[in-house]
Parts: sequence; structure tokens; C-alpha cells
Amino acid sequence: MTLLDFARGPAMQWSLTILVFGVLWRILGAVLIGRKKDLSKPRRNTPVKDGLTTIVTRSLPVRQFEKTIRFQHYTGYAWHITLFISILFSAPHILFFESLLGFGWPHLPNDIILVNAAVALSILMALAVRRAGHPVQRLISNADDYISIAIVIIPLVTGILASAHIGARYETLLAIHLLSVEALFVWFPFGKLMHTGFMFLSRFQAGATCGRRGVKA
Amino acid sequence: MKTDSTAFRGFREFLDGLGGEMPSEVLPGEERVRRARNTFRDKLDGPMAVDLETCIHCGMCAEACHFYAATRDEKYTPVRKLKPLWRFYRRELSPMRWLFRLFTRDVTAQDLQTWQELVYESCTGCGRCDMMCPMGINLSTLINVIREGLASAGLVPAELQALQDEQRDNDTLFGVGANKLREVIDGLGRRGIEVPLDKSQADVLVLTTAVEVLLFPDVLGATAKIMNQLGIDWTMLSHGFEATNLGLVSGDNAAQKKATAKIVEQAKGCGAKTVIVPESGHAYQALRWDGANELHEVLPFQVLSMSEFIAREMDAGRLKLKPPTNGGSVTYHDPCRLGRYSGVIEQPRQVLKTLGLDFRETDSNGRENFCCGGGCGEYVIKRSAPLRQKVFEIKKREFDETGADVVITSCANCRINLMIGADNAGWRTPVESLVEKVADSLAG
Repeated sequence: MTLLDFARGPAMQWSLTILVFGVLWRILGAVLIGRKKDLSKPRRNTPVKDGLTTIVTRSLPVRQFEKTIRFQHYTGYAWHITLFISILFSAPHILFFESLLGFGWPHLPNDIILVNAAVALSILMALAVRRAGHPVQRLISNADDYISIAIVIIPLVTGILASAHIGARYETLLAIHLLSVEALFVWFPFGKLMHTGFMFLSRFQAGATCGRRGVKA
Repeated sequence: MKTDSTAFRGFREFLDGLGGEMPSEVLPGEERVRRARNTFRDKLDGPMAVDLETCIHCGMCAEACHFYAATRDEKYTPVRKLKPLWRFYRRELSPMRWLFRLFTRDVTAQDLQTWQELVYESCTGCGRCDMMCPMGINLSTLINVIREGLASAGLVPAELQALQDEQRDNDTLFGVGANKLREVIDGLGRRGIEVPLDKSQADVLVLTTAVEVLLFPDVLGATAKIMNQLGIDWTMLSHGFEATNLGLVSGDNAAQKKATAKIVEQAKGCGAKTVIVPESGHAYQALRWDGANELHEVLPFQVLSMSEFIAREMDAGRLKLKPPTNGGSVTYHDPCRLGRYSGVIEQPRQVLKTLGLDFRETDSNGRENFCCGGGCGEYVIKRSAPLRQKVFEIKKREFDETGADVVITSCANCRINLMIGADNAGWRTPVESLVEKVADSLAG
């Protein structure tokens, strides 16, 4: 079995298994702790509407706060947008998704994907430098924050190298890229990357709670 | 009430001596940790677990915190204040605890001592960080769980503990009990303002607070004028008037429940269909939102804050006012637990505008308003006075920017704290009550 066969075969299967079961375990384990029924009389009784609204509105900065969080907010946007462009519109990725889903979609030219990935990488590194240097973020950061950044940076770097055919044979670069993505899959359920799933729940419950008190969340 | 009045000066002297003789409950460190952990275990639920799991350590919450805004000291970052609870959760309740336990150290007695400053003296539970968090994390509720943990571990600051003990043991606060209330009501009676005290049955039970009785009796008089003009069947009870709930602010659940139960029992006793909470943000939260959950029963009456009650009556055209005149310019300070916690944001603004006042908003307002800096009992804690004064500078700057002649608020505790800040800073803009402003405009 070659390194590429290993990356495409057992490594992919095991990492995806850990990803799926780990994510379900962590989310269900937190949610199923349960909640007490709120017996106070609600000012408004539209928790689903308020919760779903807040999932969307919390992506937008509040006017009063926007001026103080501008850097983080807009770099956060830029990071996530460039990341998802890299994941969803790269031709090899679409082939992979097609093999899983049975359908694909148009891809972006490789040069654009490369530039986009380089921008994403730069933003993430800038955020990492800020985390290490800003007094507030430095104080509240832990190993998870830095490991999660590293575990996302590595697939970006190996993806750029594989797309640009730099440093080794394509098959080797592809295998290394796949293994780095699989490392991310394994880490995902254990670290802060889980905010990808928890975020929807926390925003929803914030909206529902505030809504019942008549406050716009 | 002016800052150079005898009553205000006397109150400040009282605060200076509060809790001075009283040592914190002496407990071995292991016992403190055991009690705090038990409270954390009892209080943490699914939504809180989700919130603890979601945080990405972006630190944006710091920018929302008035203590950080006033000092730029990173130790005041709200999410930092969650650390003991986060550690407990990771080790004891998280679905990944079997792994996280290896990398997360346990809560120590030293942590609890250190966090006393962070959750009592530099957090007013104002909830501004809740509004800022891009993940929607309810930080103030989580920080309150730590307060509850520290309270169970005997680490309530001496000043708050002294007041809580007074409420529990003597049924008074700041020395104010039934006799003092009667004395003030007699005084109002001599001015022609009738307060129907201790009626056996009434549709509406009106509460007040020791602070109002002691420092702001005119607010009590204003409340009576409004109720009387409306011709409502109302009463105030000499042994059940106190809306202040020291248990809520100190984090002592048993004390909170006891204070709430007393009000509910009295309201049931007189058959009240409505209970009106005076100008006090935390008292409104304690009864309106926490009351039913503390007692595990749906409350058999409606709970209204004084400002939402007035707005409702004005809106219905039942409150008769003098024709609006140019009464000068005012701005409004939103009490946190009345505004962003409880949704009473538009009502006081509507009232002020109806009175014909030139209403001006501060830069931060409504759900994003900066806290007065002394909420959740913090204004009685001596050690945090210099920090509160720095927060007052934020408020003062915002008030000054409006150019308003008067600051109006609808919380006696916010009012006192702002008056203390003004007194220290030599700032002369009056801080007044919404209820008084309305009573001044009543027709007839």
C-alpha cells in the first residue's frame, strides 16, 4: 500500500468516523445535560423565530460595538469566506465531494484558488500573531487555540503545495495534503473548531431567551 | 435629593462603615472548593454547557465590559471571569471529560479567593457582553453561577454579606423596616399624599425598597400620587414592602428564594392581581423572571415595573397629565436588568417624550447601554470604589455629550451609584427618577 493509498483508504475512513462520532458525542453530551423549564410568563412566545433570527443577526456587528471590534470582525469574515472558497470551489475538492454526494458544481480556476488560499493563510497567520500579541487574547488563549490554528494552517499549506506542484511528486504532495486534512478531522471534535456546530445552538438559545423577555438579541 | 443633603451624606457614611467588623465565613480551603463545586454541578445545565463549549476566545467581550473599557486591564475580560466554571465543566460534566481531565487542572481554594474580586468587584452582571458575543454566549448568567458558587463557599464580600444577614435576620435593610416605612408614609400623609397601608385586600400590591424609603421618599410619594389619580385599588404592606433581593445580588439562592417567597405570599394574601416593582432593576428581575423559577410555581399575578406600568397607563389615556410644556432637556440611563435583561427599553423613553421633554440619547443606550458601574450590589463594596469611579467617567462623558440638563433613570441603585460618582467628581447634573418626573406632570 502506498502512502497515497493509505491516505485515501483507511486513514480517510477512520478520520471521518472519528469526526462524525466525535461531533455527535460532544454536541449531544452537552445538550442532553438538560434544561429546567422556565415558569416565568414570557413577554413574547416565539422562541423558534427569535432563535433563528439571532443565528443570522449575530453575524452582524451591533452599531455600538462595531467601532471597537472592527479588526476582528472583518478579518473573521475574510478568513471564513476565503476558507470556504478554498474548500468548495477547488476542482479536486469538487471531484471528492462528487464521489461522496453523487453530484458536483462548477469550480474556480486553479490560479484563483491558489491566490485565495494564500490570502486565507495570511489572514489566519495574522490572527495567530494577534492572538499571541494582544493582551486580552493572549490572556484568554489556551493550547487548544494554537493547536487549532496550526491544524488548519497545515492543510492550507499542503494544499497550496499540491496545487502548485512544489517540493515533491504530485502523488506524495497529495498524500501529505490528505493526511493533514485527516489530522484536522481527528482533532475537530476535541477542540474549539467545534464552534462550527455549537455556534448555531448558542446563538439560537440567546435569541430565544432574549426574545421571551422582549429583548432583541 | 441632592448630593449635599444630610440624608445622602449619612447614607455614604453608613456605606463606609458597612461590613467593617464582619470577617468572611472562615472555612477550610477544601470545604470552600467542595461547596463551590457542588453549586456549579447543581446550576450548570444544557444551555450553559453549550455556551461553555462554543467560546472561541476572540476576546470581543472585553470591549463590551465597562471595567475593561475604563481601565484597558485585560484581567476584566468577561470570558476570563468564567475560568473556574470552565475548568469544572471540562473536568466533571463535558462529554469529553475523560480526556479533558488530563489537561485541565481542578479548581482550587486560591482560584475562588482570586475570583471573588473578578465576579463581585469587577462584574455587575450587566449583560452587555452577552449582547456583544458573536457566538451568542450568555456570559452574565455563567458569571452569576460563579457568584453562586462563591456565595456557597462563604466568599460573599463582607458588605454584601452584612446586608444580606440584616435582611434575613432582622427583616430590615439599611435599618429600614416597617416602623421607618410608617414614619415616611405618615410624613407623606401630612403633605396630603395618601398611601393605603396594609389593606387586607387590593387589586394591586405596590412594593418599594429600603433605599427609596430612606433616601428617596419623594419617589414613594410620586408613586402614590400616580396610583391615587388612576383610582386603582392598591396597597402597600408594612411587613411585605421590600422589593430588594440581596440573595440575588450576593448569589445566595436560599436568601433569594426566601425574599421572593415573602413577596409572593403577601401578594397572595391580599389577593393582588398585579404586583408593581419599584424603580429597581435587580428587584424586577428577581420577581418578574426569577420568581416563578425560584418557587417552582407559576405566579398567580402579573408583575410590572413602575416604568412599564406608567407607560401602559399613559398609552391607554388613563393617566391625566398637564399639557406638555418645554420642561428642559433630559437623557435616560437604562438600568441593565430593566433594559437589556427585561425588555423595558422603549417604555421609559415613550413616557419622557409624552411629558414633552427634550429627550436626548447617550451614545450607548438601550440594550447596549453602559452600566452605571455599581449594579448587582457592587456600589456597597468599598474595595471597588476606585474602579467604579473610572466607570463613572465613561457615564459622565456620555451624559455631558448629550448636553441634557437632567439624567433620568428608573432604578434607585443606579441613581445612588451615579450620585456617588457625581459627588466624588464634583459633577453637578442632577440624577432624577422617572416616577417623580411623571408625578410632577400630573394634572390636578
